[in-house]
Amino acid sequence: MDFYILYILTASLIFAFIAVFSLFGVYAERKISAFIQDRLGPMEVGKFGWMQTIADILKLIQKEFIVPTVADKVLFTLAPVIIFVAVYLGFAALPWAPGLTPVSMNLGVFYVFAIISVEALGILMAGWGSNNKYSLIGAVRSVAQIVSYEIPIGFAIIAAVMIAQTLDLQLIGLNQGILAQQEIRFFGFWDVKDIGGILAWNIFQAPHLIIAYIIYFIASLAECNRAPFDIPEAESELIGGFHTEYTGLRFAFIFLAEYAMMFLVAMFGVTLFLGAWNTPLPNIGSLKLADYTTGMFWGIFWVLIKSLLIVAAQMWIRWTLPRLRVDQLMSLCWKVLTPLAFACLVISGLWRLLLF
Amino acid sequence: MVEQIVFYVFAAIAILSGVYVVASQNLVRSVFMFFVTLLSVAGLYVFALADFVALTQIVIYVGGVLVMLLFVFMLSSKDSLDNIVNLKKEALSANRIPATIITIALLVILIYAILLADFEQLDWIKSNKLLIEKAQTSNVHNIGVNIMGRFLLPFELISILLMMTLVGAAHLARKEPNND
Repeated sequence: MDFYILYILTASLIFAFIAVFSLFGVYAERKISAFIQDRLGPMEVGKFGWMQTIADILKLIQKEFIVPTVADKVLFTLAPVIIFVAVYLGFAALPWAPGLTPVSMNLGVFYVFAIISVEALGILMAGWGSNNKYSLIGAVRSVAQIVSYEIPIGFAIIAAVMIAQTLDLQLIGLNQGILAQQEIRFFGFWDVKDIGGILAWNIFQAPHLIIAYIIYFIASLAECNRAPFDIPEAESELIGGFHTEYTGLRFAFIFLAEYAMMFLVAMFGVTLFLGAWNTPLPNIGSLKLADYTTGMFWGIFWVLIKSLLIVAAQMWIRWTLPRLRVDQLMSLCWKVLTPLAFACLVISGLWRLLLF
Repeated sequence: MVEQIVFYVFAAIAILSGVYVVASQNLVRSVFMFFVTLLSVAGLYVFALADFVALTQIVIYVGGVLVMLLFVFMLSSKDSLDNIVNLKKEALSANRIPATIITIALLVILIYAILLADFEQLDWIKSNKLLIEKAQTSNVHNIGVNIMGRFLLPFELISILLMMTLVGAAHLARKEPNND
């Protein structure tokens, strides 16, 4: 029976992490946007306004659920749950440290990719269930965008998987540092198995994966519906997109799903390309920095730091770049990202065939 | 024991939601219910040690086919949807007789085949029982080797078919050049 308790404990821990991350993610987003636009941001509640989002969530919890009279009540109520659960399930397969994965499975990469695609259905459900033209247009835009950007993301992921030669996320992490079970070569020629650190990360094992990672990063912004890909919730034309009609805790869940998704894509990218839970510090001669900074707590620390940096970059981009038009969005996806990602895939294949 | 209960729960959900998909008059709701059917069938695949098939089902059907179905509903005119809803509902109207004949014929064939088969003695079930240990460890590896080896020709044929639909879709979506 013990492992059932462990399962429940892990699930609650992940949920607690998502909730805390979203609270302070929103705070960070508001502070970063304020810094970029030369404002102060939240200042009133607590020192530097750090309790602002806690006050916000307390307000949201107390609010009434309003269901529009003409809405499809069942779909309207279920949609936030499906959107959140789809993202939440994705966290199950991501590794946090050596040997520490909520659910270890040998199809991890494919599982995360599959379970995220359920989110699109939840968004359509919310848009249709609201029975509001703005919601519906927002949902259709959002899903069209998610479905198209899944193609470059898929190719970029496969390019990394071909270098790593496994779909198990824990093994992918393991093979990017000093604990590797196979030989690792920096740029394909210099054996760095005992040196580790930043030199052993996937993007430095095969340099074309740097391009693949940039493609992954751009496409993951579109998967999260964040600026510059935020036409689904373009405030100036669509009010709020697919979540226009939602109030109270239901709105909070959609928001939670958005921030959870940001962290999920960041952590997934870190695992595939940026060395997972491995330290960036290499062993230099007798100074064994990599050996010192590898372990259970260091693993969690490095994953968190790397993913939070990526999330910060997502926020930075959101408040810096203007929104793309629909045709620009589609030509970026189909004429630039997809061919480049496909080229990365071919290079990965040749890399494996010719160098090993 | 727990596994059996979970299996029957999944099977019951799959069947009940399938019945709802067919019987419901609300087209969009029945598409969303189809999502439940697909998920529970994916759960059944996991029980059959076919986790790769389960995930592929979610990627292709939930992420692709269902979304496309919904787009078709949402982008088609309201009149054509109403026409479908307002079809005659008697059990033996002209709209339903062909469908009834086909489904009953299919049911008879399925029942006949199930009664004919002796599951414990089938060759492939016997040999797969021996392979259960192996299947748990290297499922993807086996699928990859088999697709590139034994089933290369069907695999290539499917890829040609997909290529043809892709070219066709691109042609349909192309802007016609102005002739004036």
